[in-house]
Amino acid sequence: MRIYFLSFSLIVILQQISIAQITVSGYVTDMASGETLIGANIVLASDENIGVSTNTYGFYSISLEEGTHELKCSYLGYEDQIVAIDVNDKKELNFNMSEGIAIAEIVISAEKEDAEKNVESTEMGTIEIPMAQIKKLPAIFGEVDLLKTIQLLPGVLSSGEGNAGFYVRGGGPDQNLVLLDEAVVYNSGHLLGFFSVFNADAIKNTSLIKGNMPAKYGGRLSSVLDIQMKDGNDQTYKAQGGAGIVASRLTVEGPIVKDKSSFIVSGRRTYIGDLAQPFLNGSDFKGSNYYFYDLNAKVNYRISQKDRLYFSTYFGRDVFKFSQVKRDLRFNLPYGNATATARWNHLFSDKLFFNLSAIYNDYQFQFDGGQDQFEFNLFSGVKDWSLKADFEYFYNNNHTIKFGVNFTNHELTPNTASATNGDVDFTTDYIPKYANEWGLYAQDDIKITNKLSANLGIRLSLFSQLGPYESKLGRGSFDSWENVTNYFGIEPRGSLKYTIDPSLSLKAGIAKTNQYIHLVSNSSSTLPTDIWVPSSEIVKPQQGMQYALGIFKNWKDNTYETNIEVYYKDLKNQIDYSEDFVEDLSQEVEDAFVFGKGRAYGAEFFLKKAKGKLNGWIGYTVSKSERSFDDIESGRWFPTVYDKTHDLSVVANYKIGRKWDIGAVAIYGTGRNFTPVGGFFLIEQNINLWYGPRNSARLDTYHRIDFSATYTPKPDTKKKWKSSWTLSVYNIYNRKNPFFILYNTDADLETGSVEISGDKITLFPIIPSITYNFTWN
Amino acid sequence: MNYKIIILLFVFSMWLGSCSEPFEPITDASQPLVVEGYVEAGPGSFTAYVILTRALPFITAVGPDQIGELFVNGADVKVSDGDNTVQLTELCLDDLPEDLKVIVAQSLNLNPDSLQLNICAYVDIGDQLIREEGRSYDLRIEIGENVLTASTTIPTYVPLYGFRFDDPPGEPSEQFARLYTTIDDPANEKNFYRYKSGVDDGPLITPFSSVINDVFYDGQSFEFPLSKAEDLQEEVPFEEFGLFDRGDSITLKWMSIDEAHFDFWNTRDFSANSAGPFSSYTRIKGNVDGALGIWGGYSVDNYRLFVPYQ
Repeated sequence: MRIYFLSFSLIVILQQISIAQITVSGYVTDMASGETLIGANIVLASDENIGVSTNTYGFYSISLEEGTHELKCSYLGYEDQIVAIDVNDKKELNFNMSEGIAIAEIVISAEKEDAEKNVESTEMGTIEIPMAQIKKLPAIFGEVDLLKTIQLLPGVLSSGEGNAGFYVRGGGPDQNLVLLDEAVVYNSGHLLGFFSVFNADAIKNTSLIKGNMPAKYGGRLSSVLDIQMKDGNDQTYKAQGGAGIVASRLTVEGPIVKDKSSFIVSGRRTYIGDLAQPFLNGSDFKGSNYYFYDLNAKVNYRISQKDRLYFSTYFGRDVFKFSQVKRDLRFNLPYGNATATARWNHLFSDKLFFNLSAIYNDYQFQFDGGQDQFEFNLFSGVKDWSLKADFEYFYNNNHTIKFGVNFTNHELTPNTASATNGDVDFTTDYIPKYANEWGLYAQDDIKITNKLSANLGIRLSLFSQLGPYESKLGRGSFDSWENVTNYFGIEPRGSLKYTIDPSLSLKAGIAKTNQYIHLVSNSSSTLPTDIWVPSSEIVKPQQGMQYALGIFKNWKDNTYETNIEVYYKDLKNQIDYSEDFVEDLSQEVEDAFVFGKGRAYGAEFFLKKAKGKLNGWIGYTVSKSERSFDDIESGRWFPTVYDKTHDLSVVANYKIGRKWDIGAVAIYGTGRNFTPVGGFFLIEQNINLWYGPRNSARLDTYHRIDFSATYTPKPDTKKKWKSSWTLSVYNIYNRKNPFFILYNTDADLETGSVEISGDKITLFPIIPSITYNFTWN
Repeated sequence: MNYKIIILLFVFSMWLGSCSEPFEPITDASQPLVVEGYVEAGPGSFTAYVILTRALPFITAVGPDQIGELFVNGADVKVSDGDNTVQLTELCLDDLPEDLKVIVAQSLNLNPDSLQLNICAYVDIGDQLIREEGRSYDLRIEIGENVLTASTTIPTYVPLYGFRFDDPPGEPSEQFARLYTTIDDPANEKNFYRYKSGVDDGPLITPFSSVINDVFYDGQSFEFPLSKAEDLQEEVPFEEFGLFDRGDSITLKWMSIDEAHFDFWNTRDFSANSAGPFSSYTRIKGNVDGALGIWGGYSVDNYRLFVPYQ
């Protein structure tokens, strides 16, 4: 059987090689803005089975037989383009696509192409979400938030009411690789996670890989959220922005040299704390304020058809200032991310695309406070320098091979505190932890037959903990750059797709992943104070193995996409805090870690309607996520806080005429797990709570409906200034979803009376908001 | 309606609609045993005693009868100081003569006049244990088939000195003062401290955060402020929190404790003070095998101070 299979494969490969083929390559861009389009389809018009998609940089390469062909380029929301090309004369072909809003039939055609990916792609658990769709959905406080939109997808859970944090397929919050133009974003939340750091106006594309992540990605167990910033309009100057009840935003973009170079600058800032200043000025809390802001900027330069340069950066901060005048108590608490990415695209040939990226990212948390002569400073953070070289070799239409190498130097600073009180200084002796992380990968997207395709890959990873370091296992001191501990990982990845008919396919996938830096939270949700910790001689790398099966079916000429995926995850070296963990500075957090294992499994059901005036999706997940630690309840398997048996999301958009768009989101899910109070005991005449088994109780079932309506007064105006109003109502029927249990105790041992009660606290009632949006060009 | 009111309504709109509903817990019928026992050395120290109770399930309100039933009677409680093993004697307040009852109640920081509860404890009534610094004490309790064991030490006492009162930070105040004191922390050893304070002969109260370790100032001599322990059942204005009233008489009980004893209070204080929307739970780390609670050694001294008028 094996010999037969090998012979068959060899024949197929030889057949492919024996046919003389010529490669046509180029970029696909938006005609109006010059933005490259990611994931556009280029197919042979006469045989749509022969086709490719553009990569992250809008580049494609397709192999054709000699002669004249018609190539069709399509992209969701854009007019199809069909271009005849004699491949003997011309091998470069760029597509400039125009938005096809006015030509409904063509838009549907593009949507058809997009829908077909559901069945035809070898990828599993991968979803791309257009920003246009995200912007039409209801948003709490009117702030459009892509992280809250991905929470509506099956397999993705919110970390809490109104929170932008997310969990994927039973994985922990640190197991998601969040990338902004390839730079890792270590803390993707503002205001304790209630808003994400991603300004929707600056984002071009978002894709979530929740299943079998390709070998080019590494370093996390659960998912990849790959976000690309807009490149900037290289045709004309344009501004867009909006004003909402908590924040305003402004984006300016335009050409530096038309058709060659462009820029985009985008900013957002909240002003809710500023509005409160008139009340604070006359009070004891004068000088207190809270705000956050984001700044995105990007420039690109096309040196030639073969060479392009990109530089993008992000800087965001939360700033919390507290001041109490009467007792001279003050603190300043800034935290946030900074990222910078420089990229060079180069075409070694029309088949070999190369990208070199140099990436910097820096997450800092800082607290500076004091009272009278006492000053206290606290700092923690993560700083990475990375270099990535990625190759895409479009061998032929049946093989797209990707390979590359990447290197990251990590500097992770634990909580370092210093204090002065008059002449006396106190300081923690903790020093940053250093590590190098290497990744070497290769993957091939293979079309074995017309019915059978595969994506096979392997990633080799190496993580080296470096000095300076003082061993906690009696191995002595290590100097700067000296190797302390090495971990090596072999991470095979693979998926198979079998097409039963053009509208029905079966897929299977397997992925092994290693994770070398970790974040453990002692909270119900991750907080900016949580510390990223590297693997070390004490902390072993987390390991994950995911198995997935899926059936993908499109109905009624691709009007409806459906898929069902089941998965099982086996997780090793999982990390948590011991149950008696106390947050203080007297120990490094890893000294309070306990280590164990995990498992997660579930089934996801997805129905999407992409066509017509009414579109949207229904996602339903039934799942289980558990952990076991020898040091927690003697290894009992307990559900995680993000173990949610049932999770249902319904998302709908409806267009009424040309002026109105309405959107609605309905969510229904099992309540969150928590560890209940089992009872109380008395010590020193005070009530002390003792807790039952970990996560053995659930909050009430969670459900709510949000609604939005966008009104565009003059949709057909030829004026440069165009505007719209969006009314958004969060939790429209004012469901009181409990966020946490607050316990109140009162004891008077002299009279022998004790009272104890718990209250279910709700955070967000019905919240209406209104946002004004505009564009100018 | 002026704009400030509109803005204020807006700022707090999310909270205006927020609400709470009573939580109905899943009651757990189990009632673990709870040990609270101390052995002290130093001026004004009290004889060793153990209070043995059971925990109560989560129920909304209980009265003196139910609290009284929590005390576990008839246990066999022994403490060994390394040289002697002493049987502690069970005493209940109602069994004591009135004058002794007053003394015991005050020792437990209870007001004898309003005391309605018949508290029971196992006491070294003959004060037979050698209570001194550097000595370890093993506790063994037998209750039916249950055997509870624990061990603690009384560490070397590290005194405070150089007490002074000063104006609180910020705006001058004629009413309040802040207490400062100085300590010489012994070098190259882990030291753990705990304190309580009382005002005008009132009970000693445990402060919001009652324990300190010397991780950051090992071996240093330095002055630091000590906050007044506030009764957390009473509302204290933020700007007055931890400050002493001028004219008050203060009793300050300063204690050196060992690491396990520190861990108990540290986890206890953290568990009690960290309730909030994002908080997780913290199990109190006791040192008694087979029960919740603490068997703790203290080396103590009590300081009587007067807060001067300006």
